[in-house]
Amino acid sequence: MDNNGKKLLIVEDDQFLREFYQELLQGEGYIVDVAGDGEIAFQKITNNKYDLILLDIMLPKKDGLQILTELKAGQKMGGLKIVALTNLGQDSVIKECFDLGVAGYMIKSALNPDQVLSEIKTYLSGSSTRSANG
Amino acid sequence: MTTVLPVFLLIIFIVVVTLVVVVTKNIRGKISQLSYQNRLFKALRELDIVAFSTTNIELLTQAIVDVVHNQLGYTVAVIAFPDYEKRIIKRMAISRSKETEEAFKNLISVKFSDQILSFAEDRNLLNKVLVQRKSFYTTNLFDVQVGVLPEEISKKIQQFFNMKGIFVYPLVSRDKVIGILEYTSIKKREDLSPFEFTIMQEFVSEAGRALENALLYQDLKYTSRKLEVANIKLKELDHLKDDFVSIASHELRTPMTAIRSYAWMALHKSDAPLSDKLQRYLVRVLISTERLINLVNDMLNISRIESGKIEINLSPIDPISLIRDIIDEVYYSKSTEKKFQFVVLEKPTPKIFADPDKLRQALLNLVGNSIKFTPVDGKIIFDFFSDGKIVDISVKDTGTGIPKEDLGKLFHKFSRLDSSYAAVSTSGGTGLGLYISKNLIELMHGKIWASSEGVGKGTTMTISLPVASPDTIAHPENYIVKAKGEVKGLEPVAI
Repeated sequence: MDNNGKKLLIVEDDQFLREFYQELLQGEGYIVDVAGDGEIAFQKITNNKYDLILLDIMLPKKDGLQILTELKAGQKMGGLKIVALTNLGQDSVIKECFDLGVAGYMIKSALNPDQVLSEIKTYLSGSSTRSANG
Repeated sequence: MTTVLPVFLLIIFIVVVTLVVVVTKNIRGKISQLSYQNRLFKALRELDIVAFSTTNIELLTQAIVDVVHNQLGYTVAVIAFPDYEKRIIKRMAISRSKETEEAFKNLISVKFSDQILSFAEDRNLLNKVLVQRKSFYTTNLFDVQVGVLPEEISKKIQQFFNMKGIFVYPLVSRDKVIGILEYTSIKKREDLSPFEFTIMQEFVSEAGRALENALLYQDLKYTSRKLEVANIKLKELDHLKDDFVSIASHELRTPMTAIRSYAWMALHKSDAPLSDKLQRYLVRVLISTERLINLVNDMLNISRIESGKIEINLSPIDPISLIRDIIDEVYYSKSTEKKFQFVVLEKPTPKIFADPDKLRQALLNLVGNSIKFTPVDGKIIFDFFSDGKIVDISVKDTGTGIPKEDLGKLFHKFSRLDSSYAAVSTSGGTGLGLYISKNLIELMHGKIWASSEGVGKGTTMTISLPVASPDTIAHPENYIVKAKGEVKGLEPVAI
């Protein structure tokens, strides 16, 4: 599979969902790392290199917007491809995420797993910054 | 003859003198009457000036007592207010003069603002004024001080000011005593002229009116301040409710997403073959979870629309390319079940003036509905019509159709038709989509309606919106809708 070697980080506090995304993506041949809260996520993002980061917004310890803000302030967003993966469908939150430099936005409850996979493929393949949910 | 003439002259003289005396007396009387009237006019004018320039109770009462002292010439004037809740009478203002200043310095130990009388002290004339709503007169100052000041101090005050007569008047508004005017004179009542009485009566009724206005205004101010506070509280509550709704819906969606995702995995990524039964069960779990998620989204949207949190931003939209985008989107989300034929009856159609996101959502609802009620291999046909002022976009399906009597019920909340229950429970329908669409379209100054030839003959849903004419584009303010408070977007629509 051409997904081999692509390294992904899943930041998700809900254990079931985290393990679901992990299993789904590992099944497609990706190398998957996970983080269950904002602090671990921030450490992993700053210390490791990922091809794509799926970032939940509502997180314990440090929320997604905070992580993005700190990364942006530290000018560390340059080489990163981060896609917000959340259930917050608010225009204002979506806009804030894009202002902070995310590559895209996916609303978990609106997507079937195969749609999540095809979105991830799109993000990995190019510099496209389309949003899955319009 | 010699004796007659002097007598005659004397009589004439007496008559003339008498006449002169009478006339002079009359003139004097007239002069004094005029002077009293003049004093009244001056007093009323001064009262008017104050009453017009302020609705502040303290300033007004002070002005009234000062006028009574300065213009009408009474030694001391006081206004007291009854407090019917606390059951007390409280003195509010006393006329300002050197003498009163001196009296308070040397004689009166109780501060003026502390001169409070209980309703229970019925020996005091002020309480009689309050109960009987009429004026009283006394020659003993203690009659209005009993319960407030000790008798010996009251005596000293009376001597100091040389008070001979003490008058107490109720200031009445709507059958209720709102204030009491006390004033003292160096004359007893019997030494005052009738004019002076008339003047005081006139003045008291004018002062009562001025005070009534000021009190009403103060009441109004108090009430509006209370309303303001209540309004702030309501806003806070509204905010809390909004926060709760969005947090609760987020919390609900997380486990629902997990159920949906795992049911999908079990169906599509199972490591063991599924029996037909198990497959059917899992499909039903999946559909029901999708329906729950849609329900949460729709309820969030309705809450935002109904609380005015949705903003309408208009731009010219080409209806045909919008429909093409929507068809693409439906294909994308229903990629596994491409079983409908979409037909777009293209014709030259002017652009419409609408909010692209909201119109897209409303149209997706209509298309989603058509899909739900149209059997496999059915057709969904998009048509356009314009009279130059409006554009009708119609979505016609070859589905189950709607009985005529049910057409009106379609756009109500949760008003699913009897005939549609079977179809809805197997789809992700919520019974809220058309209600949301109607609200969104109406926010954009459009109309939405349904028509059907009857059961089995398909349904046509039509949305009518204004054309983006140069005139409408030049005045978007007539169409734009601003959100109340924080602007919220819409949750994605389920198809």
